[in-house]
Amino acid sequence: MSTTLERPALGTPRKVAPAKDRGTLLRSQVRTGWTLLTPALLHSGIFIVIPVIAVLVLSLTDYSFGDTWSWVGFGNYSTLFRDVDFLASLWHTVLYAIVVIPISMAISLAVAIGLNQKIKGIGFFRTAFYIPTVTATVAIATIWLWIYNPGSGLANGFLSLFGVAPNRWLADPATALPSLMVVGIWQGLGTKIIIYLAALQGVSRDLLESADLDGASRWQKFANVTWPALGPVQFFVLITSIVGTFQVFDLVYVMTRGGPGSETRVLVLDIYQNAFQDLKLGYASAETVIMMIVIALFIGVGRLLQRADTND
Amino acid sequence: MKRGVGLTLLAAALSVVVSSCGNGVIDKSTDGVPPAEATGTLRVLLPSFPPSTKGREEFQKVVDDFQKTYPKMKVEPDFATYNNLNEKLSTSIAAGIPYDVMVTGVGWIQPFASKRIFEDLGKYGLTPDVIKEKSTAALIPAVTYDGKLYGYPLIADTRAVALRKSAFREAGLDPDKPPTSLAEIKVAAEKLTKRDKNGNITRSGFDLASATGFRQSFTTFLSSTGTPLYVGGEPNFDNKAGLDTLLWIKSMINNVQPYGQTNAAQQPLVLTGEAAMGIVGGAVDCSDKGIGQKNCDDLKFFRFNSGKEIEYVGGDLASIGSRSRHKDAAWSFIQSLTKPATLDALAKLNKKVPAYKDSANSPQAKSNPLSQFVADGLIYAANENEVPANWLEMRGNFDIQLTQAVLGQKDPAKVLHNLAGQSR
Repeated sequence: MSTTLERPALGTPRKVAPAKDRGTLLRSQVRTGWTLLTPALLHSGIFIVIPVIAVLVLSLTDYSFGDTWSWVGFGNYSTLFRDVDFLASLWHTVLYAIVVIPISMAISLAVAIGLNQKIKGIGFFRTAFYIPTVTATVAIATIWLWIYNPGSGLANGFLSLFGVAPNRWLADPATALPSLMVVGIWQGLGTKIIIYLAALQGVSRDLLESADLDGASRWQKFANVTWPALGPVQFFVLITSIVGTFQVFDLVYVMTRGGPGSETRVLVLDIYQNAFQDLKLGYASAETVIMMIVIALFIGVGRLLQRADTND
Repeated sequence: MKRGVGLTLLAAALSVVVSSCGNGVIDKSTDGVPPAEATGTLRVLLPSFPPSTKGREEFQKVVDDFQKTYPKMKVEPDFATYNNLNEKLSTSIAAGIPYDVMVTGVGWIQPFASKRIFEDLGKYGLTPDVIKEKSTAALIPAVTYDGKLYGYPLIADTRAVALRKSAFREAGLDPDKPPTSLAEIKVAAEKLTKRDKNGNITRSGFDLASATGFRQSFTTFLSSTGTPLYVGGEPNFDNKAGLDTLLWIKSMINNVQPYGQTNAAQQPLVLTGEAAMGIVGGAVDCSDKGIGQKNCDDLKFFRFNSGKEIEYVGGDLASIGSRSRHKDAAWSFIQSLTKPATLDALAKLNKKVPAYKDSANSPQAKSNPLSQFVADGLIYAANENEVPANWLEMRGNFDIQLTQAVLGQKDPAKVLHNLAGQSR
């Protein structure tokens, strides 16, 4: 048995696949695409789309886990805007986000710049800064509860060295929310530092060297080379921070449960309280919808700021 | 054709997922089936057994007793706490797999009975008249809704007052004449409060036991003036008695006790010596493992009386889920749970007193002076009384808004008016 291989003659026009074959090829690609997408679509459908639809529908009802429920239209929404607990929670959450996000981003960037230098023991420092991120929030909250303990806590012990009178931190309405913000800032540093560090390592060496050759100062290099290069990363960190701070719950739940009074009551805690303690699932669903809208608004503002920054 | 097959497979997969989420863990009903032949899993939610080895052992005894009647049925316990009880209840209902037996507290029965989440126990012969012969009268109103019984009292969670005799003598007060009215308590507490040179309180004059909220203490103090919190589901605190009581609490906080004071062991502060006087629970361990006999001898117990002698009484109450598929088995489990020996064990584990009728002669009451005192005082029982249908919502509202009033963030009169308006 022999096989003869014929070389196509030069100049012979190449066979063009008929349109039908081309279509078959595309369909198979489409099918493969859908097949690969199916697990993700199923996941999104079951765990995102269906719950979102359920929340939207529930928000129009007075469902409270009983046998009976009725449609209330936008009644839950109109009640929400007269609900002092909801308004206080919304304000605390926005305040928490406004304070925690910029401070934690600034500290993270500064630390990342430090960790991007060739200094001794850099591995240790990188690990140390990342540890809070991989530690369970409940464990973190428990440690901070001790730090803030008015009688035997580290915070008062440390401040007493400078003659500062003991503070009741989480029990004082004036200091409870700021105390939680400190923990939130500290806890969120690790992830942001890692992202900034990766971005800093991607800043063009050529541009930095060119700036050096042009005699640019450190600040000029940062402002004109590094900062613009971090643009997309800044936006990513901002978005994830907005979502994260608006969803703050476990920290507050363990440390203050929203108290004293409602001084540290945040949106998700209020939603949890309404849904699972007060059993007002319809009302809590309306609150969830409002929270989604507020997060979307914040992201929109962040995007506008980012665009303005890029245009500059 | 191929697309059709694919879609059919997808639909089949989805239906499997949905059906397994919805019904996979629900048994067939065993009601009407002879107990010896009944199979399935009885799901019980109860905050009554602490998560200790001893707690688990006592629970197993209940299960063993239940399985003498229902040998083929399994029991799946969920050892909740009062903090996450509602969360467990609501999520189980939302998931379509409600518990068969649910143990809740005072104030839970009426809202859940009105939502038809709890079963009327009259079907099992347990009526208000029958329960009178079995349980302490103090908790019968708490398990009654619309003239029917929806819960079976297990243990009573009581609040009395204790003073340190040595602290009283040191302050020139007579421990044999304890202050019982709110006015007397304030005068004594101010004398008993100790401060450091900077004015910080080092020993509280009176422990209001309100670190997590003032709802229970407000109810207690108000009741001692002869004013129940609610009457027939209607608010009874938006009045002079309510305002005086709230102003009294406000005058005590950061005057005789720092706001939020508690200790790591969550013990009443008067038992540990951190307060000279204060609210205590239902038992004290006078052994060397507890506070010791010397400390116990230094304590004197009494009740609030600003016109009416009262003792705050909460408790653990067992109910059957109305959507249970094992109602007969659930009733059998409650019968095992309410045997006197089990209630004695529960009382000891929880530092409370058993809720059976002759609680004053229970082993728990005989074991320590505080349990004896509170068991004797069950006739003075007071609590939130006849709460409104939205009480579960109001519990949190009370804790938040009373705290705001006490800390001076809101006007006390407006807070009470607001709370009255929210009660419905």
